[in-house]
Amino acid sequence: MSCCKVPVLIEAQVEMGSVNELEHKSLFRQEDDAAQTKEASLMEQGSLSTSFPQHTPKSPKNSVLNSIKIVIFCNKLNLLLPFGPLAILVHYMIDSKRWVFLLTLVGITPLAERLGYATEQLACYTGPTVGGLLNATFGNVTELIISIFALKNGMIRVVQLTLLGSILSNMLLVLGCAFFCGGLVFYQKDQVFDKGTATVNSGLLLMAVMGILFPAVLHYTHSEVHAGSSELALSRFSSCIMLIAYAAYLFFQLKSQSNSYSPLDEETNQNEETSAEDEDPEISKWEAIIWLSILTAWVSLLSGYLVDAIEGASVSWNIPISFISVILLPIVGNAAEHAGAIMFAMKDKLDLSLGVAIGSSIQISMFAVPFCVVIGWMMGQQMDLNFQLFETAMLFITVIVVAFFLQEGTSNYFKGLMLILCYLIVAASFFVHEDPPQDGI
Amino acid sequence: MRSQISCRELYLMFSNLFKSMGCCKVSSLMQAQVEMGLGNEVELKSLLEQETDSRQTNAASLMEQGLHRERRAKVPRNNVVQSFKIVILSNKLNLLLPFGPLAILVHYLTDSKGWFFLLSLVGITPLAERLGYATEQLACYTGSTVGGLLNATFGNVIELIISIIALKNGMVRVVQLTLLGSILSNMLLVLGCAFFFGGLVFSRKDQVFDKGNAVVSSGMLLMAVMGLLFPTVLHYTQSEVHAGSSVLALSRFISCIMLVAYAAYLFFQLKSQPSVYTEERNHNTEMSEDDEDPEISKWEAIIWLSIFTAWVSILSGYLVDAIEGASVSWKIPVSFISVILLPIVGNAAEHAGAVMFAMKDKLDLSLGVAIGSSIQISMFLVPFCVVIGWMMGVQMDLNFQLYETATLFITVIVVAFFLHEGTSNYFKGLMLILCYLIVAASFFVHEGPRQG
Repeated sequence: MSCCKVPVLIEAQVEMGSVNELEHKSLFRQEDDAAQTKEASLMEQGSLSTSFPQHTPKSPKNSVLNSIKIVIFCNKLNLLLPFGPLAILVHYMIDSKRWVFLLTLVGITPLAERLGYATEQLACYTGPTVGGLLNATFGNVTELIISIFALKNGMIRVVQLTLLGSILSNMLLVLGCAFFCGGLVFYQKDQVFDKGTATVNSGLLLMAVMGILFPAVLHYTHSEVHAGSSELALSRFSSCIMLIAYAAYLFFQLKSQSNSYSPLDEETNQNEETSAEDEDPEISKWEAIIWLSILTAWVSLLSGYLVDAIEGASVSWNIPISFISVILLPIVGNAAEHAGAIMFAMKDKLDLSLGVAIGSSIQISMFAVPFCVVIGWMMGQQMDLNFQLFETAMLFITVIVVAFFLQEGTSNYFKGLMLILCYLIVAASFFVHEDPPQDGI
Repeated sequence: MRSQISCRELYLMFSNLFKSMGCCKVSSLMQAQVEMGLGNEVELKSLLEQETDSRQTNAASLMEQGLHRERRAKVPRNNVVQSFKIVILSNKLNLLLPFGPLAILVHYLTDSKGWFFLLSLVGITPLAERLGYATEQLACYTGSTVGGLLNATFGNVIELIISIIALKNGMVRVVQLTLLGSILSNMLLVLGCAFFFGGLVFSRKDQVFDKGNAVVSSGMLLMAVMGLLFPTVLHYTQSEVHAGSSVLALSRFISCIMLVAYAAYLFFQLKSQPSVYTEERNHNTEMSEDDEDPEISKWEAIIWLSIFTAWVSILSGYLVDAIEGASVSWKIPVSFISVILLPIVGNAAEHAGAVMFAMKDKLDLSLGVAIGSSIQISMFLVPFCVVIGWMMGVQMDLNFQLYETATLFITVIVVAFFLHEGTSNYFKGLMLILCYLIVAASFFVHEGPRQG
C-alpha cells in the first residue's frame, strides 16, 4: 500500500466514517495490453499535464491503461482480486457452498479497499463538504450492498445480524486494536482525543440503541396494540426518525468543521511537508466516477454469491449462522478500516482513529440499519428493528461499555486490551447462540 | 489504581485506627494492599489457651526482643508467646474470637441452626481482620510489587474460602449469591458510608478523588457485568446451540478471558505505581522511621497466615452447612442471607477502614478499598470459582439468573455515574446507602426459581 497518496480530504472522510474498499477484477485481463502501451500513455500524460498548471486539483488525464495501473497494480492487497472470479467459477463447477463462501469473502476484501480509494479520489474534486457527504454515504457501501442482496432474498435475519456485527466490530475490535497498538507505541503517556466529539458520538450510538430496543421490548413483552403489525409500523417510523437524526448529525458536523478541525490543526501543520501531495489526485474526476461504478458493480456481483452461500457454509462448517453473520463477515468487510485506524493511532492521531471506528458505527446504526428498513418497506419485505432480545441486549451493553471508555478523553493500551477482550466475549457468545425456534423470521 | 495515596498517610491512617483499637502498627505496604482492595479478617482461637504462659515469660521475651533492635529491617524474633501477644491480644476486635469455638460447641450440643449460624458469623469477623494483618506483615518482607500481588489475591480470601467450601458441597447458587452480595455491598454500602461520613466531616466543600482511576475502575466493573450478562441472557432467551451445555462452555471461556483481563489490570496498576510513590514520599518524611518496622518475623507471618486460614476454613465449613437451616428457622430467604448478611460480616473491617479514610479526606484510599475490592471479586474471584468448579467437576457457571444480573447491571451503572465526576459529598453517600437499602429489600422478598 506504499505508493498511494492520501489527500487531505481523508480527514473529512474519516470523520464521516469512511474508508471503503473497492473491487476491480475484470480489467485484470488487459494486463498484457498495459505493458505494451505504457510508454505511449506516459507521453500522453506528460503533454497533458503541462496544459493544466492552474487547476487547483491537478486533474491528471490518464489513459485507460494508466488508470488501471494506478488503481489496480499499486496496491498489494489487490493480489487477492483473482479470488473473486475464482469464487464464481467454483460456484458453477462444484457444489461446495463453503468454498464459494470463503473465496467470495477473500475476493471482496480488496474490492472494499479500492472502493474507498475511488471515493476519496472523487472527493478531491468535490470539495470537503460534498466529499464528506460522499464518504458518509459510501463509507460502508460493502455492508449496504450485502444487506440489500440479503433483503432481496428475504433473509432478514442475516441483514440484521450483519449490520449488528459491523457495529460491534467497529466499536470493540477496531477501536480496541487502535487504542492497544497506539498505547503500546506511546506507552509513557496517555493518548488524548477530543472529548466533545466522543461524547456526541456516544450519544448518537445510545440513540440508535434506543431505536432498536423499543421494538424489541415491545415484541418481547407481547404488549402490542395490533399484534404483529404494530411492531413493524413502529420500526418503520423509528427508522425515518433515525434517518432524520443522521442527516442532522451530518449537517452539524459539516457546519462545525471549521471548529472541529482546530484540534486537528496540529496534525495539519505537522503534515505540511505532505501537503504538496494532498491536492494531487491520481485519477481524473470521470475516471473516479467510472471506477466507482465498476467496483460497486463487482461488489454487488460477488455479494450475490456470498449471500447465497451463507446458509450452506453454516451447515457444512457446523457454525451457527449468527456467528458467520456477526463475526466473520464484518471482520472481512472492515479489514481496511481496521488497518487505517491502527495506523492513525500509532501516529498519535487518535481523533482520526476514532473517526474511522466510531464514525463507521454511527453510520451503520443510524443510516444503514434504518435505510435497510425503508428499502425493505419499498420492496415489501418485513424488515423491522426488532433484533431479538439477545442481540439487542448485547448491543446495549456494548454501547454502554464503549461510551464509558470514551468519556474520559484519554486512552492507553489497557483500555484497548479491555475492548479487545470484550470483543472476544461477544464473539464467544455468538458462537454458542442460535435463534430460538419459535421466533424464526 | 494510580491512587495518590501515600503509603505514609495510609500507614498513619491505619495506625490511628488500630491505636484506637489497640496497639498494632501498620506497615507501609498497607497502601499497596489497599489499592488492591484488601481488608481481611483473621481468626486465631486455639492460642488463647496459651494465655497463661505468656505472662510468665513476658520479661524474658522483652529482653530477647531488645537484643535484636540493630537489624536493618528490624525483623523481630518473637517467641511463640510474644508473637501470640502481638497478634492476638493487641486488638480489641479479637474479643469476638471466642465466638468461633462457641459456635462449634453449639453445633454439636444443640440443634439450633439459627444460633449456630449467628455465632459463626460473629466468630469469623475478627479472623478476617487478623488475616489482613498477617498478609500485610508478610508483605513488608516481600517488597511492594509482590506485596501488592499478595493483597490482590488474598484481599478477599474470606469470600474465597466460603465460596470454595460451598462449591465442594455443590451449592453453586450460594457461591453466586455470596460473591454478588460482596460486590454490591462494596460498591454501595462501603462506598456510600465512606462518602457520607466524609461528606459530613467536610460539609463545606466537595471532596475530590482521582477521576482517571475511577473511570478505569468503572470500565472494569462494566466488563465484569458484560461477562455475567451474556451467559444469563443466552440462557434466558433459550437460544443456545447445545441446550444446557453451551452456557457452561461459554461461562468457562469468558472466565478465562476475565482472568486475563484482571492480570492485565494488575500489570497495568503495578507499572504505573512508581509515579504515585515519588510524589507522596515528599509529604510525610517525618514518619519514615515507622514504615519499615514489621512486628513479626517473616516466618511468623507465614505461620500465622496458615493458622488463620485454617481456622477460617473450619468455621466457614460449619457456616456454609448452616445457611439453609438458618434460612428455614428465621424464615428469611437464602438469597437474603447470602447476598446481604454474609458480605456485611465479611467486609466489616474494610468498611471501617474506608470510612476512616474518608473522614480524613483521603477519598482515594476509600475508593481503593471499596471499588478495588469489588473489582477483585468480580474480575478475579467469580471467574476463579468457575475455573475451580471446572476442575472439581462442579457445574458452576456465570449465569447468575436474570434478577441478580439485572441488579448488578443497574448498580454498576449507578455507581459509575456517581464516580465519573470525581467529587463526592454527603448527599452522594446518602444516595448510595439508600440504593443499598433498596437492593437489600429486594433480596428480602426474592427467592430463586425453583429449578435453579
